[in-house]
Amino acid sequence: MVLSLRVMAPNRIVWNSEVGEIILSTNSGQIGILPNHAPLLTALDMGVSKIRSGGQWSAMASMGGFTMIDNNRVTILVNEAEVSDEIDLVEAQKDYEVAQMELAQAEGRKRKIEANLAFKRAKAGFYLLLDSNQ
Amino acid sequence: MASSSVRRGVSRLSHLLQNTSPLASSAHSCSGRCPGLSSGELAPFGSRMASSQIVRNRMKSVKSIQKITKAMKMVAASKLRGVQVKAENSRGFWQPFVALLGDHPDIESKKNVILTISSDRGLCGGINSTSVKFSKAMFTLSASEEPAKYVILGEKGKVQLQRDSKKNIQMVVTDIQKMPINFTQISMIADEILKNVEFDTIKIIYNKFGSVVSFLPSVATIPSPEVIARESEAGGKLEQLESYEIEGGDSKAEVLQNLSEFQFAAMLFNASLENACSEQGARMSAMDSSTRNASEMLEKLTLKYNRSRQASITTELIEIISGAAALEAAS
Repeated sequence: MVLSLRVMAPNRIVWNSEVGEIILSTNSGQIGILPNHAPLLTALDMGVSKIRSGGQWSAMASMGGFTMIDNNRVTILVNEAEVSDEIDLVEAQKDYEVAQMELAQAEGRKRKIEANLAFKRAKAGFYLLLDSNQ
Repeated sequence: MASSSVRRGVSRLSHLLQNTSPLASSAHSCSGRCPGLSSGELAPFGSRMASSQIVRNRMKSVKSIQKITKAMKMVAASKLRGVQVKAENSRGFWQPFVALLGDHPDIESKKNVILTISSDRGLCGGINSTSVKFSKAMFTLSASEEPAKYVILGEKGKVQLQRDSKKNIQMVVTDIQKMPINFTQISMIADEILKNVEFDTIKIIYNKFGSVVSFLPSVATIPSPEVIARESEAGGKLEQLESYEIEGGDSKAEVLQNLSEFQFAAMLFNASLENACSEQGARMSAMDSSTRNASEMLEKLTLKYNRSRQASITTELIEIISGAAALEAAS
């Protein structure tokens, strides 16, 4: 029994294949999904989800979204997502540091919110790579 | 000779002055008012000065219009290619929502909001009028104790709906297409709408892109979280929602709220992209028929120009020859 997983972003399909196990990060903790899971509807937080396909674990950073599970079909809708092999480690590290600096220096409410979002994104991307490289 | 022609010319002018509708009765294409003359003057019929210069000016302007519309068509075609790819990719984004919640345009609702998506610029055929017509029909159909409200995206829809439904318009958003449409921008617009407008259902009216020549006016119905909660109980339309475990928030209501907002943003994203595609497609065909009309007009004008040129040459020849003949006869 396998799960058929579809991950969709507004402008492209990020993932579309069969997988063995998924670990999602929701805002109430991490959920593991195995085949024959009960129907589930949950909100995803900005963070890293792990996908096991053919014995290999891959990681995916997502910027918030929704997951629907029904009958071994998993549909994840995200605002934006990046799979680990698509990100470059050096660039991700640079983005992370830049975002950290911007957050510390941000002034005014609008900039603070923008910097916060950018920081979360960069952090998710960076931790994604740290995780997958371990 | 000259005096007789002047007399003839004068009598024809007076004939025109008496006749209040020279356009209807005249057989000439360039009748009554000629664009080359200042308004109020009537072009004399059948006399030498009728056309040459004026027709040539007209030909020049029609030719430049033809070039402009041809260029606009090509610009629209290239823009269409770009947006079409995005629209097709975004279709997969809202399909899971429909698979989960279904599409229920007949869901019970008291506070209806009609969201009309239109273009900012004109010259795009009839798609904006179609959207507005549909919106007005939806408006009358969804009459309950409270009249429905309009939220309008796009300048053209605003102009058309302001004429007779001004007091029902709640919010207007224009200049969306200054940047290429992306999800972040649309989710911000969706947020603004959700903050400022109370609704039980939102009906998004847009032109779905079928192909370059077919645009189907479509309605997407988005229920509010309260309506989803109400209908997901037994006997409601969204009963299948109950079979799902709902996690990811402090309460089911919070997750349903997030779901409804996300669904709204996703649908709005797809609807805006489809409408943008339809706009470019409609503009392509409008500019294409414009170019074709311009070339037809140009052909007719060329014939007319040649005829008037030949007529004036003939008149000059006749005058010269009759003058020479008169001299000969005299001597």
